[in-house]
Amino acid sequence: MLSSIESPRWTCALGGALAAAAALPRTIPVMHSGPGCAANFAWTQNGAAGLQVAGRCAGLSFPATNMQEGEIVFGGAERLHEQLRHTLQIMDGDLYFVLTGCIPEVIGDDVESVVSGYAAAGKPVIMASTAGFKGNSYFGYEQVLKAVFQKIVRPGSAAKRNLVNIWGIPPMMDVFWRGNLRGVEELLGLLGFRVNTFFGGQASLPSIANAAAARLNIVLSDVYGVEAAELFRDIHGVDFITSPLPLGAAASDRFLRRIGRRLEVPAKKIETIIQRENKRRYDYLEPIIDVYNDMEAQRYAIVIGDANYACALADFLAEDMGWLPELTVITDVLADDIKAGLLRQREGRSLIPAQKIIFRSGSREILEAAADDWTPSNGRYSKRSQPVFVLGSSLDRNLAQTLGAGHLSVSFPVSNRAVLNRGYTGYGGGLLLMEDVISAFILAR
Amino acid sequence: MGKDIKQIAIYGKGGIGKSTTSSNISAALAKLGCRVMQVGCDPKSDSTNTLRDGKYIPTVLDTLRAKGKVRADEIVFEGFNGVYCVEAGGPAPGVGCAGRGIITAVEQLKILKVFEDLNIDIVLYDVLGDVVCGGFAVPIREGIAKHVFTVTSSDFMAIYAANNLFAGIQKYSASGGALLGGVIANSISAPYSKSIVDDFAARTGTRVIEYVPRSMTVTQAELQGKTVVESAPDSDQAKVYLRLAQNIANHNQSQAPSPLPVAELHEWAAGWASELLKMESGEVREAAHGI
Repeated sequence: MLSSIESPRWTCALGGALAAAAALPRTIPVMHSGPGCAANFAWTQNGAAGLQVAGRCAGLSFPATNMQEGEIVFGGAERLHEQLRHTLQIMDGDLYFVLTGCIPEVIGDDVESVVSGYAAAGKPVIMASTAGFKGNSYFGYEQVLKAVFQKIVRPGSAAKRNLVNIWGIPPMMDVFWRGNLRGVEELLGLLGFRVNTFFGGQASLPSIANAAAARLNIVLSDVYGVEAAELFRDIHGVDFITSPLPLGAAASDRFLRRIGRRLEVPAKKIETIIQRENKRRYDYLEPIIDVYNDMEAQRYAIVIGDANYACALADFLAEDMGWLPELTVITDVLADDIKAGLLRQREGRSLIPAQKIIFRSGSREILEAAADDWTPSNGRYSKRSQPVFVLGSSLDRNLAQTLGAGHLSVSFPVSNRAVLNRGYTGYGGGLLLMEDVISAFILAR
Repeated sequence: MGKDIKQIAIYGKGGIGKSTTSSNISAALAKLGCRVMQVGCDPKSDSTNTLRDGKYIPTVLDTLRAKGKVRADEIVFEGFNGVYCVEAGGPAPGVGCAGRGIITAVEQLKILKVFEDLNIDIVLYDVLGDVVCGGFAVPIREGIAKHVFTVTSSDFMAIYAANNLFAGIQKYSASGGALLGGVIANSISAPYSKSIVDDFAARTGTRVIEYVPRSMTVTQAELQGKTVVESAPDSDQAKVYLRLAQNIANHNQSQAPSPLPVAELHEWAAGWASELLKMESGEVREAAHGI
């Protein structure tokens, strides 16, 4: 049992939920909580997600009850009523999403009954219970998904053969969430499917309401959104499949084959797509291949990230770039069976070299675990695992400096890069990731 | 703080007669010449009713809620014999956080410096008995009250609550919290009830400072909205309260109690149950049990 986690790579349930609710189309989050929460999320969370601090109704500009002592002593229900009344009058949205922080949950505010009163009056108000003490950002994301599946997705829609739903990419906790959702949408588009992404610019509330018509739910995570997928299946009868994040070409090949087979796409069609996409990819790769060789651009790597990113990035480095990811650190606090599941996925992959996968959450622990295996480089291949590159978060810069290694921030937090529409999923995403990795170590030369 | 104000908290299980006891102590202390303030720390807000002819007073929290800021004269009201009455107040049942309410109200009294301005000698906090959360422990921590007295009958649930309170006092005793002054044995009627409370006090390292008998005089006084000290000043019951008040006024040395572990408490109660059964079945017991 961990006693404390130094520099954790997440915030609290309310943070993850707020990021998710703000990422839903035409949705106005209403935070029922104390005054400090929003500031924490705006900078500590959203700022560390590639500087995505603000939003149409996000960051520090969205309705909140700012609970004070009076609300704590006498209950916050009245204040929430007031806030909802005014918000419905002046904020232009199609969905109003109440999220609870620690205070109302500790004092026992009956938020459910406040919200259901509005819903009964035909107002589009829903809620999720997201007290910070209940879990971290990923838990908050899952709570939002569950509320959407229960309250927004209409049951009994007529099934559509070419519609699938995707989730499992938590906004902000996946810094590249917009681009990554779009990348997966494009991959599925190659197979001929229309995709409900729920979050981001391409989503709409009517299409979310219609999500029960999907043929399959694809959870792009082995951890986040899986419980919500079970709930979706129980309520709406749509089955689900979990998949690693398809970062780059090799993972995209696997993704297309696996999902295509599951959705009865003819194998020949899948292979034709894969060949075409790889051909296109090599067209872009060719010009840089000599540079790769001449500059001895192969690196050992330490990969640090959450359950979605860590192994997916390590696989990318090994399979798409021919690098040697020797140590992979998964930073989530996970149950043993989930850990075992993540490890099992790597079995039988010939292109992935032997590597150590460990679970560490605290930044100091990570630094110590990695530094144990590496000693500072003098720029020569004097040690078994040099030169090395650290592909992690901006919290791992210290580690990279300690090892004299190159460094790129990809997993949360990414506070030293600006991220707008960049994504690393799919074939195009893989090229972008390769650009970024190579640029990072070229810059350091 | 110029003079040493004696701050006392009276705890006990709900319905055990805490407010009745507190109000009678306050009235008696006033009769003895002390400047007394009684602070009701219970959302029911009826602690001081019998000091004010059965009438409710505006609570600190209601006033704070309505006006955002309070003045001393909006929350402190004079009752029988000049006893100053304050009710902390609290939220409606089932809403909000009563514990935080107590904290807020007690803070207000500090901020407004009412004790100093009114030159109070003794403050009595009458606190909801089961110390269900941190808020209700406020009077016994942070050096607000120095001495705690617990009101209990010989009923097991009342003793259980007292034992819980002792655990709370013990917890805060090392960090400057209040210490236990003693037990006020209330509603003592059956002869064995005195022995039970005595035994409990002995086992938890404290003492009984007064035995208050069950009395019709109390019921009559309460129905008139008065304390016994006011309505029947010459009664035997009033004399008990006066003696109790004198004891409290003279009391200086409190101690950390030694609460019984829950299993031990149950064992202790079971022991008494079989004793009582033997008595009922006619097997005569020794004099120590009051028979």
